[in-house]
Amino acid sequence: MSSTEPVVKQVQIGGLVVLKLIKHCEEDSGGPELVQGVLLGLVVGETLEITNCFPFPRTTENSDFDEVQYNEYQMDMMRSLRHVNIDHLHVGWYQSSNHGNFVNRAFLDSQFLYQSSIEESVVLIYDPLKTAQGCLSLKAYRLTPKMMSMYDSKHFTLETIKAEGLSFNDMYEEVPINIKNSPLSNMLLLKLKKENPVPEKVEYLNLSHSSSLERQLRLMMSSVDELTQESGKFVQYQRSAAKQHQSKLLYQQKRTVENAARAQRGEPPLPEEDFNKILRPIQQPARIDALLAAGQVSAYCDKVSSFSTQSLGRIFMAQAMDNKD
Amino acid sequence: MSKFYAAESSSDTDETSSDDDVPVTSTRSKAISQKRFLLSEDEEETTHVVLSAKEKCWEGLKDIIKLMQNVKKIRDMSKLLDEFENITKFYNKSKAVILKEGIPRFYIKILVETEDYVNELWQDKEARKKMSKPNSKAHGTLRQKIRKYLRDFEKEVTDYRENPDVDEKEQAVPESLPSPDKSDKAKMFLDKPLKPANIPMAANDDDDDDDDDDWPSDTSESSDESDEGGIGGRQLTADYFLKKTVKDDADEKSKRKDRGKEPRDTKKKKEEDNEEWEQVRGFGKAKVTLFEKDTEITHEVVMNKLNEITINRGRRSTIRKDQVELLKQLRQVAEDNKLGIAMTIRLTFDLIAGLFDYNSKILDCMKPEPWNDVLGYVEEVIDLLLDNPDIVVAEHIAVESENVSDKEAGFRISGSPVTLVEKLHSEYIKILQHSDAHSTEYVKHLREEVNVVNVIKKLKKYVEYIGSSQNICNAYILLIEYVYYKYDHKAIVKGKAAASEDKGDEVDEEVEDPSTMMKQFCQYIYAKDSTDRIRTRAILHHIYHHSLHDRWYEARDLMLMSHLQEMIDLADIPTRIIYNRTMVQLGLCAFRRGLMKEAHHALVDIQSTGRAKELLAQGLLLQRQGERITPEQEKVEKRRQIPFHMHINLELLECVYLVSAMLLEIPYIAAHEFDARRRMISKQFHHQLRVSERQSLLGPPENMREHVVAAAKALKMGDCETCLKFIINDKMNNKVWNLFSNSNAVRSMLEMKIREESLCTYLFTYSQFYDNISLNWLSSMFGLDRPACHQIVSKLIINEELAASWDEPSSSLVLHRTEPTRLQNMAMQLSEKVSTLVEINERILEAKVGGGGFQSYRQDSNYQGNRTNFQSNRSGGQGYQGRSGNSNYQNNRSGAGYQSGRGYQGNQSGRGYQGNQSGRGYQGNQSGRGYQGNQSGRGFHGKQSGRGYQGNQSGRGFQGNRSGYHGGYLGGYHKQGR
Repeated sequence: MSSTEPVVKQVQIGGLVVLKLIKHCEEDSGGPELVQGVLLGLVVGETLEITNCFPFPRTTENSDFDEVQYNEYQMDMMRSLRHVNIDHLHVGWYQSSNHGNFVNRAFLDSQFLYQSSIEESVVLIYDPLKTAQGCLSLKAYRLTPKMMSMYDSKHFTLETIKAEGLSFNDMYEEVPINIKNSPLSNMLLLKLKKENPVPEKVEYLNLSHSSSLERQLRLMMSSVDELTQESGKFVQYQRSAAKQHQSKLLYQQKRTVENAARAQRGEPPLPEEDFNKILRPIQQPARIDALLAAGQVSAYCDKVSSFSTQSLGRIFMAQAMDNKD
Repeated sequence: MSKFYAAESSSDTDETSSDDDVPVTSTRSKAISQKRFLLSEDEEETTHVVLSAKEKCWEGLKDIIKLMQNVKKIRDMSKLLDEFENITKFYNKSKAVILKEGIPRFYIKILVETEDYVNELWQDKEARKKMSKPNSKAHGTLRQKIRKYLRDFEKEVTDYRENPDVDEKEQAVPESLPSPDKSDKAKMFLDKPLKPANIPMAANDDDDDDDDDDWPSDTSESSDESDEGGIGGRQLTADYFLKKTVKDDADEKSKRKDRGKEPRDTKKKKEEDNEEWEQVRGFGKAKVTLFEKDTEITHEVVMNKLNEITINRGRRSTIRKDQVELLKQLRQVAEDNKLGIAMTIRLTFDLIAGLFDYNSKILDCMKPEPWNDVLGYVEEVIDLLLDNPDIVVAEHIAVESENVSDKEAGFRISGSPVTLVEKLHSEYIKILQHSDAHSTEYVKHLREEVNVVNVIKKLKKYVEYIGSSQNICNAYILLIEYVYYKYDHKAIVKGKAAASEDKGDEVDEEVEDPSTMMKQFCQYIYAKDSTDRIRTRAILHHIYHHSLHDRWYEARDLMLMSHLQEMIDLADIPTRIIYNRTMVQLGLCAFRRGLMKEAHHALVDIQSTGRAKELLAQGLLLQRQGERITPEQEKVEKRRQIPFHMHINLELLECVYLVSAMLLEIPYIAAHEFDARRRMISKQFHHQLRVSERQSLLGPPENMREHVVAAAKALKMGDCETCLKFIINDKMNNKVWNLFSNSNAVRSMLEMKIREESLCTYLFTYSQFYDNISLNWLSSMFGLDRPACHQIVSKLIINEELAASWDEPSSSLVLHRTEPTRLQNMAMQLSEKVSTLVEINERILEAKVGGGGFQSYRQDSNYQGNRTNFQSNRSGGQGYQGRSGNSNYQNNRSGAGYQSGRGYQGNQSGRGYQGNQSGRGYQGNQSGRGYQGNQSGRGFHGKQSGRGYQGNQSGRGFQGNRSGYHGGYLGGYHKQGR
């Protein structure tokens, strides 16, 4: 964290990793739960190459798969991989997410842990829903240095946030990714394509956008609700803080008046008291939640924005084609 | 220990055995209740062993004595001293008893023995030396104390010393003394006749007299009374039993002791029985005659006898069966001697009371046989009273002022036939409650009902003739209780017959029509009743009866006019149960009439608690809110249960409730899909839906609930045929619908309802996909004829639930498309949420800047929040100008922005909002994602138009300028709101 600028400028992902990741999601995400796994690879200059990955076992509420076993499993896995001569450097983790609803405390916690131990680690966010619609959605993220330093302090008050100059926009940053296959696999693909040609079927003009949009809106709404709640908490805090401030002033005034009177009478002034003891300072609500909610809303907004731009494009295209007929 | 008891004389034994009698007979004496018919309530505690004061005292003494003897054996002087002090203390405490009873001989005995023992030890110097210090000290003290103490009993002690008891003689008796439990008693009874009858008469008499003093209402006294016939004198007891000479003395003796249980024998009876029975009879079994042969039977004698018998009523010692027998005999005697009807009635009253007493526990029901007897007697009494209207029978007549002999003066008898019948009724209900509802026994009991009703009818006739209006009310309500829950098939048949031809007239005309009967009785009660309770019940029963026969409006009006719903919380629990039953019946009636809303309202209270079973008193819930109910509660609940034949089928009830909820709820959900203020109509129904949704695998429906849920799901899709299939099929017919008397009518009503509601649901749900719908198609789709279809849809249009109109020439429905799509709805909701968020953020800001308006800002008052910069400029005075980021607030000079409250201008990233002149529109200017509002309205939430988008030029729509799309949605969106 000493360096202000991260070394890694881009992420290069092997085709194998992408396929494994997708497979894991498809096979494992029976319910609404998210799947997670570990990314392996190495850093080459300014590029982080991710060459392999393995999934975390799915944890259910009632299984007694605790932290220790978790780590054991991870170590075992990496050891086994080393035996077969696969890159075994831990470079990050991946997670599936529906419509990009990944900005939350858990995400922040684990990414912080990763980044604090392995500086160049990233998180891959894979969106199975969007992928199902025809375009692979895979994004690499990492926390910004600002966020890291703030998270490190574990103080999420207004002041620390202000001091860092942190806004919800720069909590995390995206790292450009680049999927690369080895020449051999490219050759294999070409050969396969030749032997077994895929029918040209492209759903570029799929107009059914409303259901997906609805879901995104719903998610956005819940985030907005959360944000509203946080704001409400803050208002509450403000109010009580103001009240306390008022009483503090009053108290001090009284004290000065009394001291003045005592001075006139030639008595020693009253001893200074710790004000915090008299009026306990009110706990400031942690703004991190609000920050996260705002970040989430902003992420949704971006999604909706790009989605609707595409949809609008399609609609107009369809209209144009319709007119031609 | 035998050493001690040895000295007891047989007179002592005798005394204690007579003691044994005492506790049993005496305890109930004061419990004789004045209310003869409610007497059994006091009798629940059969398990207590009640000891008399004397018994207790003797027992206590003996316990200590036993201890003393044990202590003596181990020569523990200090203990002995303690015990000695104990016994003397105890003695003083029970002085009152002892004064009455005389000093018990065994007490003297222990004192004497102890003294001897102590002295003996005193003399034995060696033993004394061996004793431990505290022991020898105690020894000394004891010696002195006992000497001193014995001085008070000098006479007794010398008596005793002269005549010490012998050891061996009394082993057996004291054994049984301390425990007065049954087996011992029985043993004692058995022993008694075998004992030599060498007891001095005088001693015995003493004992008896003592008893009499203690317990004035005791048996011997009652025998005193009966002796008034001329043969007085205690000492003559033996002579008194004139014919008893055959029996040996011992037998007679025991007879005398047990007089309470076993009234005098006479020889006549004896001779009829054979000898083996004699002994058994000796212990108190019945078959006795009442008067000696030559007594002249007069009213007075009989009355005396009656008093003698009744005075024992309720005592523990009285064997109830004997009482009944005695009363029966007495009645026979009275009849034989032609003492008059009044006498017979009087005796029968008591006889009935005796029979009711037969059971000691209030929870148990009477056995069928005595119940039948009672029924017969009650009927007889009422018959007699009907035949002899000159006999005045009333509760207010005191027993003393009764007149059963003098015809001229007018017969007066204390008693109340109404109460008798009420008791009979409650016993009958109890019998039904106690028999297994699924056995033939129950059916057998149920057959008795006719007789009960007959009796009640007779009673009715009687009270109508003679009774007060209150009595009439009582009789009526009794009769009503037997009628109200019965479905009158005859009336229905008759009604039908009368409708077709006038043939029904000849069908038993004399049989009363229950409906008119109910009406007549209830109206009488409404008018005359002075107790609220009976009136309330009558109303409830009347409503029940009405709704049972589908007279919905009468039932409803009565319910509403009586205002019972407001007052029922104050009523007692049985009445509340009746109320619950009535409400349920009312709901069922509404359902049958196709009034779903009313049915739901009536049933929701009962069903929503999930305790319908308990509320209707049709079974016990052993658990209440996770806790087991206590046995006492259980007992109380058990007594309230409704007999099985009056039950309302709970599954039917639940099904009716769920179906009515479904028919209300599903269209409502469909109509108000996006209403934020939507409330659920029926929680329980929602619960069922949710349960089925949670299931990962849904099989075909099995039970009634699953059927309804499956039907509800089909209805949600507007699929009326599937829904019908789920609601009306063989399974459901068997389980539910066939339980209605007119099940076919109900089924067709349901079918109609389902078709209607699925039409509504369909229109609500899918209207957005249609431009127009042909009426023909609708009617064929939902199996409704065209007029009906037209009617339903028109109703929806008129109620503004559906934005559509009829195109009559083409007979099709034109939909106006005013409802926003789901997506638009979501967007609206989102906008509302965002605006609340904005408001809150504003408040944060206000607080920061001091809340006192914006006038006080300085130019550089610069607030930096977590991610927003606010800069206010003085000139504007009322606004903020932000420079960076998305959530900048920019105040424009005109001062409009903040004046009107909410203008935002996002200037850079394009996600902001721009407020224009009026300050309330949101305008996105770059990314094309913004909404542009015009003058009025605030954002997409037009203030004037209430709800909906109001665009400025193209109606509404997204106006994106960067991406180059300018069309937006072209579809018209002109509705200003609903």
